[in-house]
Amino acid sequence: MAPRNQDGNFMDVDSDSDISLLGDVEHRGKGKGKGKATDKRKKDKGKAKAKEQAYTWEASYTRSWDTVQEDEAGSLQGAVEDLMARGRRRRLLAPAAAIRRTIIRHLVLLLDLSAAMMDRDMRPTRFDLMLQYAREFVVEWFDQNPLGQIGVVGMRAGIGERIGEMSGNPQDVLKYLSDRSRLEPTGEPSLQNAIEMARSSMSHLPTHSSREILIIFGSLTTCDPGNIHDTLDACVKNKIRISVVALAAEMKICRNLCDKTGGQFGVAMNEGHFKDILFELVPPPAQRAVARTGGPGASNPAADLMMMGFPTRLPDSSPPSLCACHSDMKSEGFLCPRCMAKVCDVPTDCDICGLMIVSSPHLARSYHHLFPVKPYEAVRSMDGISEPVTACHACARVFSITASTAVASEGVSPWGRYRCPDCHNDFCAECDVFVHDVIHCCPGCGK
Amino acid sequence: MPVQSLQNTDVILPQHTPHPLLPFLQSQSQNTLTRLYQRPSSCLSIFRLLGPIERQLIMNLLWLESAIPAATMSAWVMPEGKQAYDEALAVMAGLHIAPNSTVKLALNPTFKSSLRQAITGGGNTGSFGTPADKDYKRQSANIENLDAYALERWETILHYMVSSGQGQNPAKPSQGVLYLLQRSGLMNTAHGAILQITSSGFQFLLHSPHDQLWNLLLQYLHMAEERQMDLVEVLSFLFMLSTMDLGREYSTEPLSETQKAMLEDLRDYGLVWQRKASSKRFSPTRLATTLTSSSPPLPSSHSTGGSRAADATGTVALSSGAAQQGFIVLETNYRIYAYTDNPLQTAVLNLFITMKYRFPNLVVGMLTRESVRKALSNGISAEQIISYLTTHAHPQMRKNNPLLPVTVQDQIRLWELERNRLKSAEGYLYKDFASQADYEYVLAYAKQLDVVLWESAIKRCFFGTLEGHSNVRGFIERRTGAA
Amino acid sequence: MEKASHLSVIVDLSPTQWHLSAQASNQYPLSIETFLSQLLAFLNAHIASKHENTLVVFGALPGKSVMLYSSTELLTDDMPPLDANSYLPFKLVDSTVVRKIMDELDAIGKLEEEPPCALVGAVTKALCYINRITHHSSTTTGVAEDPTTLHDPRILILSVSPDLSSSYIPIMNAIFSAQKLKVTIDVCKVYGPDTVFLQQAAHLTDGSYIYLERRDALLQNLIMSFLSPPFIRKILAVPKQDKIDFRAACFCHKNIVDVGFVCSVCLSIFCQPLPVCSTCRTKFPINTLKRLNAARPAITPANSRMGVPLANLNNAATPRSTSTPVPNGMSNLR
Repeated sequence: MAPRNQDGNFMDVDSDSDISLLGDVEHRGKGKGKGKATDKRKKDKGKAKAKEQAYTWEASYTRSWDTVQEDEAGSLQGAVEDLMARGRRRRLLAPAAAIRRTIIRHLVLLLDLSAAMMDRDMRPTRFDLMLQYAREFVVEWFDQNPLGQIGVVGMRAGIGERIGEMSGNPQDVLKYLSDRSRLEPTGEPSLQNAIEMARSSMSHLPTHSSREILIIFGSLTTCDPGNIHDTLDACVKNKIRISVVALAAEMKICRNLCDKTGGQFGVAMNEGHFKDILFELVPPPAQRAVARTGGPGASNPAADLMMMGFPTRLPDSSPPSLCACHSDMKSEGFLCPRCMAKVCDVPTDCDICGLMIVSSPHLARSYHHLFPVKPYEAVRSMDGISEPVTACHACARVFSITASTAVASEGVSPWGRYRCPDCHNDFCAECDVFVHDVIHCCPGCGK
Repeated sequence: MPVQSLQNTDVILPQHTPHPLLPFLQSQSQNTLTRLYQRPSSCLSIFRLLGPIERQLIMNLLWLESAIPAATMSAWVMPEGKQAYDEALAVMAGLHIAPNSTVKLALNPTFKSSLRQAITGGGNTGSFGTPADKDYKRQSANIENLDAYALERWETILHYMVSSGQGQNPAKPSQGVLYLLQRSGLMNTAHGAILQITSSGFQFLLHSPHDQLWNLLLQYLHMAEERQMDLVEVLSFLFMLSTMDLGREYSTEPLSETQKAMLEDLRDYGLVWQRKASSKRFSPTRLATTLTSSSPPLPSSHSTGGSRAADATGTVALSSGAAQQGFIVLETNYRIYAYTDNPLQTAVLNLFITMKYRFPNLVVGMLTRESVRKALSNGISAEQIISYLTTHAHPQMRKNNPLLPVTVQDQIRLWELERNRLKSAEGYLYKDFASQADYEYVLAYAKQLDVVLWESAIKRCFFGTLEGHSNVRGFIERRTGAA
Repeated sequence: MEKASHLSVIVDLSPTQWHLSAQASNQYPLSIETFLSQLLAFLNAHIASKHENTLVVFGALPGKSVMLYSSTELLTDDMPPLDANSYLPFKLVDSTVVRKIMDELDAIGKLEEEPPCALVGAVTKALCYINRITHHSSTTTGVAEDPTTLHDPRILILSVSPDLSSSYIPIMNAIFSAQKLKVTIDVCKVYGPDTVFLQQAAHLTDGSYIYLERRDALLQNLIMSFLSPPFIRKILAVPKQDKIDFRAACFCHKNIVDVGFVCSVCLSIFCQPLPVCSTCRTKFPINTLKRLNAARPAITPANSRMGVPLANLNNAATPRSTSTPVPNGMSNLR
């Protein structure tokens, strides 16, 4: 079965769902020897596969149609509604605790672009799958780490190749990853060269920010100019955390890299598992530490109050002036609210007064986690309502007049109506899902 | 904006081919057009037929009282849009909507006031059709009936065309329609007295219904010109129909004599419904009310442009249960499955596939060399076959990228190329050069001009096109003169 | 093939603001009657552009938002009588919108106090609606619609009210979902001070924010700037906003701040240092507080730059309960 969300045309309503802290944490048996993935955080549907089916080549043919049940009349309506009901129930069970976001996180994505990536053991090829997942990873990563930055380095033909500079803009990073032809795999990979390049690009960063390297590695060899253990020691000294997702098999050096720097190591068994172990790296490392010591709310040495400035953006048409960071003549830029110095890009520290300048929408991106919309209640019966509203309060879709009889599961209204507990307006099932998963704001009460 | 920079930076405009009616309008005199522009409904319809840039420009100018300097407007044009902008201005000038001027830009005053009137309402031109008084005795035709009527009319015409050469005897459309088909060159009487479909007729069948309709109407307009009908009357009546509301009855009283005469013809094409020929009221069908929309919600089984058709009526009334967007599944093994029970669609498919089986709602066939060659010899081009298959592809096919299997597309094109192994070109053969150097010198010159069609160094001769001859000859003469 | 475009228009119908806007002391007084007549011409121009174009009009009224018109949701008894001189869809829009607005404003006239305008509700409704129509086509055919056949959805907000700082989070949430749906949000500030949030909305969704200076040229501005769908804007440029203010509203006092204190756990913004985060209950180290409090006086003078407009904003955001004079003004409309 294809990994979920392959269809880019559908809006991905799950893309900002959280990895639940208190959610089911499963331990994978180590019987398989190869995949020693540790705690596996199950995100949502479709991930269970990885558990039952071990290797891609061992799996039997998935008969997706067998899992769909027709009702007596041969209609699939019941099955579809059941799926929706399950989605609703999952949301109702979601934990309401606040989730920690890191302020500053720097990640270099090291992509293996060696000839080994053209292997077809993952469909369509390792390379295509890696690009696809890397793009999804970037979106998810920025959603959860709004002020982080990602750089991209490729390794091919024995050298490290800078594909994209560190950037805090998801669109930039996605653009680096979108040009497939520029990334065409060839030659041997060199771990050392690439890690050195990534390390040098992070060397200037302030010490309090986290520095991470994530390697997606498909090859079983590395061709290095010197002793890679020296590089490893340098990384340990620079507090760079290295995590590796291997696509072929475990290599001692990769394992060492991760263990010594405190990163995670995993070998992908199949497409679904690849995505799982990649996405396990989305939540910031500190968050997991907090979760283990009793969840958020407990006293937390890392928590702090920071002063931040929200700048004014100058348009492209404003009169050019020198910027404080590069001393370039430019018309566009951001004005520091405290000292009115002009900087080229945010987030950054003001070069003049040292104030941390961030764009407030970056912060606001995560606020829906703080103030979620209350779950709507399914309207079970229409008794006692003399004049029911005829249409959905949000999208004006007309409600059906008769109750559907097919559904009897919990959390589903036979009338297709879902009511906000605060403003008592009725919404249709589609808007219910859309409001809770995407908008995070009830159209009736406006909060 | 980052969002923009992610997308391709060069301007991707949806391919906008000018509407077939526009060249016809441009060929009319300014006088005719100005008379046409006196009616708000005509202005509105022409406005809709224009491309998106023209429309925006007209709107920008519409509410200005005085002319503005052309430079002011062009200051808003992005550098990469310059060409599109100039083309749009040329179209507007050709239609005498905005007179061509390099200094000032302004709309034709007649057009301006009429379009303003159309948008704000008011006036007393009555150009949107006078509704008939409510008839309490008889119920007016409902939308399903109108759709069924339009569909039946239209498919009769097409079906007649498609089956004309095959010895079947489908229902004949009326004399007027037959005459029009003959006049437009879609059918002719080459073999005896029976009307036969021509190669352009075959091509016509593969067009989208919307194109087909306008194609016929254009022929009708040409015919109207010859019949000495007043073109302004004819056009404005068509435009009036296009702005009418589906499912309403309109009165024939305010129509001019020409327009009343047209009613009969339009009834035959299925654009207008009347209870009986002498009735004082008429109802436009969906064919008529969607004349100025680009995606054709034809009432037919072909395609219903989803939302809009559903908008207007709340229901999508369709015949023959084939309401899907498309119905054809093409496999890499050249097999075609067409989920249709519509005899017309089956007949059209039969033009280029070999039928294998027929079931009540499914036709199975193969694209074979013979079947495609038969179509090609009928004048249908490979591109037309491919585009027909593309536009009518089953929704399941739309998941594929590319939509049609590449092998099949290529093979269809190859089959077409097979027929074109010989190509004739008029030109001149240059031979008997005195020396190899001479030959090469002249050849190099001819190649510069890009007029060489064939060359042979061994025989020391080459063949050039007709257009290049004078240049090449002049060159040789100059050279011999100089030597 | 050129695709049809969808436009959702959100009209801010705050009676107080419209009353202020109509006062003759303004340089270009604009009453709601003139505004509506020009707006209707704009709506008609949108429908005129293409037969398949869809249009929805929402009204943001004090305390609630209503759908005023929808081109897909026609009630047959609404049909105005046919008239030979006007195009039926235009007439339908005009009569429906005007009638609905009259009904709603009549209902408001009875209220004692005017709650703030439910702009957020209107925006979220518009998004739900767009979600519905863009998904509708794909669900009926059962497959993912070709992206080229999708509508080209836009939201146009005609705003007269100042920023409502208490709705900062919902409005940002709405903006992000618009970004996700690839909906462009255009903003026309017809009256009142610039609104920071709507500036950000237009900026983040690649729309344009225009502060209407010549309010007598409303219609021309609407048509020049907001009629064209995004792909035309790549050929015929439209004015964008000049400065974008990235200020945010703090969680504690709902002030709009340019320098704030941010909790590192949940990213909540506060206008002054707090010992405990009010959102996630995280305790902050005491020396951080000391350090920040020491740094604070340094920013206060800089803050005064924004001090004056801020004060105005906050005053204006609180509804004025003195009078509700507009229903009288509106009765002329009938």
